[in-house]
Amino acid sequence: MAHASATPGFFAPRRNLLAALAGAIGLPDEAVPPSMRRPGKAPLDTALADAASADETASKAAAQPNLTTPPAAVRWLTKATFGVAPTDIAAFNALGATDDARWTAWVEQQLNPAAIGDGACDARIAGAGFTTLAKTLQQLWADHRSQTANYYLRMLPFSEIECMTLIRQTYSQRQLFETMVDFWHDHFSVFGTDYDGGPVFVQFDRDVIRPQSLGNFRTMLESVAKSTTMMYYLDLYSSTRAGPNENFARELFELHTLGAENYGGVLFPDDPSLGIGQLADGSSIRLKYVDNDVYEATSALTGWTLKNGHWQFPAENDGTFIYRDDWHDQYQKYVLNRYFPAYGHQADGTKLFDILAAHPGTAHYVCGKLVRRFVSDAPPPSLVASAVQAFMDNWQAPDQIARVVRVILNSAEFKSAWGTRMRRPAVATVAALRSLGADFTPVPDNTSAWTTTEEFLSRLQQTGNRLFFWPAPNGYPDKQVAWASSGALGMTFRLLARLPEMRAVNGQASSPFLADVVAQTNAVYGGTTATAQNIAGLWCDRLLGYRPEQVYTVAMNFLRQNAAANAQLTIDENWNGPNLSRHYTQSRLRTMVALILCSPEFMRR
Amino acid sequence: MTTINRRDFLKGCCAAAATSGLAPTAFAAGFDVQAATDDTLVVLFLRGGADGLSLVPPVGGADRAPYEQARPTLKIPTSGTGAALPLANSGGAWGLHPRASALYSLYQSNHLAVILGAGQVNQPVTRSHFDSQANMEVGMGGQQGSGVGWLTRHLLSAGLPANVPIPSVCMGSITSTSLLSSTETITLGSGSDFRLDTAAWGWNSADNYTPTPPAGFAGFVDVLPWLWNASGDPLERAGAQTLESLKLMRPINYGIYNASSNPSGYQPAGGANYGTGQLGTQMRNIAQMVKAGFGLRVAAVDLGGWDTHDGQGNPANSYDYFGNKVQELSDALGAFYTDLSAGATNYMNKVSVVVMSEFGRRVNENDSGGTDHGYGNVMFALGGAVNGGRTFGTFAGLSSGALFEGADVAVTTDYRRVLSEAMIRRLGNPNVYYAFPGYGGYSPLGIFQGPDLTPSAYDQLFKNGFEAA
Repeated sequence: MAHASATPGFFAPRRNLLAALAGAIGLPDEAVPPSMRRPGKAPLDTALADAASADETASKAAAQPNLTTPPAAVRWLTKATFGVAPTDIAAFNALGATDDARWTAWVEQQLNPAAIGDGACDARIAGAGFTTLAKTLQQLWADHRSQTANYYLRMLPFSEIECMTLIRQTYSQRQLFETMVDFWHDHFSVFGTDYDGGPVFVQFDRDVIRPQSLGNFRTMLESVAKSTTMMYYLDLYSSTRAGPNENFARELFELHTLGAENYGGVLFPDDPSLGIGQLADGSSIRLKYVDNDVYEATSALTGWTLKNGHWQFPAENDGTFIYRDDWHDQYQKYVLNRYFPAYGHQADGTKLFDILAAHPGTAHYVCGKLVRRFVSDAPPPSLVASAVQAFMDNWQAPDQIARVVRVILNSAEFKSAWGTRMRRPAVATVAALRSLGADFTPVPDNTSAWTTTEEFLSRLQQTGNRLFFWPAPNGYPDKQVAWASSGALGMTFRLLARLPEMRAVNGQASSPFLADVVAQTNAVYGGTTATAQNIAGLWCDRLLGYRPEQVYTVAMNFLRQNAAANAQLTIDENWNGPNLSRHYTQSRLRTMVALILCSPEFMRR
Repeated sequence: MTTINRRDFLKGCCAAAATSGLAPTAFAAGFDVQAATDDTLVVLFLRGGADGLSLVPPVGGADRAPYEQARPTLKIPTSGTGAALPLANSGGAWGLHPRASALYSLYQSNHLAVILGAGQVNQPVTRSHFDSQANMEVGMGGQQGSGVGWLTRHLLSAGLPANVPIPSVCMGSITSTSLLSSTETITLGSGSDFRLDTAAWGWNSADNYTPTPPAGFAGFVDVLPWLWNASGDPLERAGAQTLESLKLMRPINYGIYNASSNPSGYQPAGGANYGTGQLGTQMRNIAQMVKAGFGLRVAAVDLGGWDTHDGQGNPANSYDYFGNKVQELSDALGAFYTDLSAGATNYMNKVSVVVMSEFGRRVNENDSGGTDHGYGNVMFALGGAVNGGRTFGTFAGLSSGALFEGADVAVTTDYRRVLSEAMIRRLGNPNVYYAFPGYGGYSPLGIFQGPDLTPSAYDQLFKNGFEAA
């Protein structure tokens, strides 16, 4: 062989090179990097592989880790919200006599978000100085989509929704509702800064996603299809009988309704392998879709477009939806073995949405995703079946989705599942803000200053999980295997470790911290009670909801250094190399908090 | 063999090794460890379904007329502004997109090969991006029932030496499916960002202190590994691996050289200009790892933005969205080639790049100035050991009778054949039927230089890798 790399000589020079490299920047020899491939290290993570291949129907969950688990309230709230804020546990405990009773009450309370007072969060948003959130679609179109010279102004509606969403996720009392908003933004994912969709993104979030997040799937489905943002993102606005564009119709089947699990590929529509079942109304329907259905559905939706100043209709230019019958393919269509007679006009489209929303494949796909989000990467088939039942039984109910969520959250599967999933980077970050009690109102910025918001969003983008930044229409992945990469986890550590250091005005030492760890500690422990064990316990409780032994011990030892666990710490900020227990103690305390935030116990859900 | 479990087999191996004094790997039956090379294969995936008929348009012959008919506004002209760059040795049939000037130079110097009619031959054909990408990258002939990518299986069966600092990287935040479940792959979006440097300065890390930290000092970076158990649940193992990866990368300065502000930074050779875009930066990071001798065997990198249903543009006009993407691709690959081939050591002699996409696009353009999802596509192979300057594979033609379902370019070259050839001839791994289960009948097209090995399937004993315990 010309390339005999397996010979011992191959590796030696590389060792030397690594040593030289390390030496060049003044590292001692033992700092030579370890090796990713080495004897005794398994090159394949079979458990991750199994979890990745677990599908909707398989319940072979990843090996249940042997954990000491947090209390029920912490487990359940962690899975159904953006994290446990300092006062959440006390509020939860006030809801009943037992955990089960409290949980039932909490779910009912959260499923009626309008009845939950959210004044503090609303006030924070009102005080942020946003200028586009109350604009109508027509105003957004006129003020922002028309901006071709000023990109900041053009994208301002998107930027303000991004900031507002972070505020709501962090501060809203309607935590389950915000969790569902996040779910639907993933389900009907658009790329937020799309050149045409971004300027009207306010309307997509405010008028399309939020009103139906606990509402009716059929209503949301059509509302999404008609929305200016989605129209541009998947090109439906340009689809005419003379020039059909199948982009939207394909994703409508594959991502919005039946899902790839019900895609039969390139088969004839009458292929018997595709199966026959029943819609929610009991009528017969083909179960799987094929490419031909995509083409037929494309025809059914031709003419669904926007008043966007098209050359044929230059006066109609306000960004709103319009159905143009002249652009509609009037021939008959045949979708999922349903015959659409000729001259169905706009009703071709509404009939299509009726079929898709009432289809058992849609119910299974959507409920499977919901169960995965709340319960497990390998959704238990029994629970999916219960959720499907609720979805189908209530397909026309205005609170259809709330009913499905109720079934999932009150299930034994939800209550018992723990630790088989991880928080995605964005959720982990918001959870950190919540549990730190941070005071952070992100706002867009058009100055040359590198603001706290800009740094925060940039770091979130590095994790791969900045809100509304997933470029493809399938939304952010929702499986642990996708986020358990060194890239996502490493950049999440980098962001979480930064949070206790961030200040309201970036780079200004006199500006307050977003979360003042030292002040919060001093408010609880002072004098002789300011010991490493008390303080480490406080922050484990605050950030994790319990004191897992390994994290607590490491945090406590890190904080005390050479002092005793029960000795009083002087929390000041001076160099003291010979006595590490007095070495930059304020920095050390904030870093201890960073360590707890970067623990597996904080990531797990 | 099926009655022996892996652990017993390995125990046997080690016992035998101990008595014979041979390395244990010599007993890992089923593949030839001597076959492994120290080549690097870079797999660049164009996400979204790149339009092969614009990347490599027909410029003459029988396909030009149907092409012009199918692409009234999108066709790449053969003369004037935005004219295609004619490819030698293609019988006057093919050209390269005019914005791919760097790739064109490489073609002319015989370092770039174009593969025609490439794609997935397996049924059912899928026109879903996500299914199609997953199918390709899992490499199981259309079956997705596996959380293991084809490159992961390559690494498992490649017969690499026992210690390799960085055998595999995936450039991005999220690991590509082709490298799924590999524990020896480092996933990172950018070399210089992949670093823990954000905790309070005084307690971030021992290496913040020069020349030495206070006695007994251990900062955030040094203590964090204590929280993640390398033999814990999947999450903890992933975290431990992340910290290991961060440690491995930590001594490396990925910033660009600057005499005053970053004198130990990276200096591309031959005046290579990677630009400041994401792909250029990622290719630069890969080049730096190759040169540093980390034993890099596999690198996966993505370029997205190819799903051009709408407003694809044309190089003859000022609006040329697709051309901008092409130039981004071409410039990054051109810089990569220049950087690695200039200087005393021509690293490109041991580095190959394969460019692929999940499918091509519909032959007929749509009415939105774009193209919908299609089927067959082109692939590129690039490297010092590539038999470039010519096309490979067959092309069924653009006449309506020759098209798949009357609409798409037919797949006449199995993409696995191209990747298998790279595996055998460049990476020295004959286990192509293990990397691509269900694939058979491999024969080389002659794209890559290198010795042929008998294609094999790797012992199924190891199909799930070594047991963790």
